[in-house]
Amino acid sequence: MAALETNQSATQTYRNMLRWQAIAMLVVALVAGALAGMPAGISALLGGGAVIVGAWFAAKIAEKGQSQTQATAVLLNLLKAEAVKILIVAMILFAVFKLYQSLVPFALIAGLAATALFSGAALAKSQTPV
Amino acid sequence: MEALALIQAYTGIGIGLIIGLGAAGACIGIGIMCASFLEGAARQPEMIPALQGKVFLLLGLIDASFIIGVGLAMMFAFANPLLSVVSQ
Repeated sequence: MAALETNQSATQTYRNMLRWQAIAMLVVALVAGALAGMPAGISALLGGGAVIVGAWFAAKIAEKGQSQTQATAVLLNLLKAEAVKILIVAMILFAVFKLYQSLVPFALIAGLAATALFSGAALAKSQTPV
Repeated sequence: MEALALIQAYTGIGIGLIIGLGAAGACIGIGIMCASFLEGAARQPEMIPALQGKVFLLLGLIDASFIIGVGLAMMFAFANPLLSVVSQ
């Protein structure tokens, strides 16, 4: 029962993380769009979206390994999730830089940075005391 | 022409430093955190599920600096703002 509750709280933590990231991305995109026009807003959305897509895949991999009880297995699963996240983010960023002609690089970096940094905001909302 | 080549060469060195130092910092941070997690798990194995979500979030935070570095490096590689000084 306790294990089920902690698994649910971990899933809740991942959802909180994605929610905070989406909020940060939208705020930066709105500010960039208002200050520098539509292409800047789209660039910020693409930068933040790359991180959110990577984090979503990583969360799915991390959720799969929640039932494991050995510390090394848990750790390897989390490191695998993180590696997949970095790979996906790098691939999406590469595609965006190559394909999107009217890219505003500073807006993309702003969206990317805000979204990546706000992944830690879910720690404040974490329910399980450690 | 010479200035253009010089800017590109220094930008290449800069990209290497951004990626390399960022990766080194992230790896050191992840190593310290993983060691702490294993130590905590060895002392209190019942805390492993509770720690799992927090380790994931902190991994994301540690990697955030590296991901931002990758984004900056790609900006300098594909849309280098320093080259606009030469082209004007």
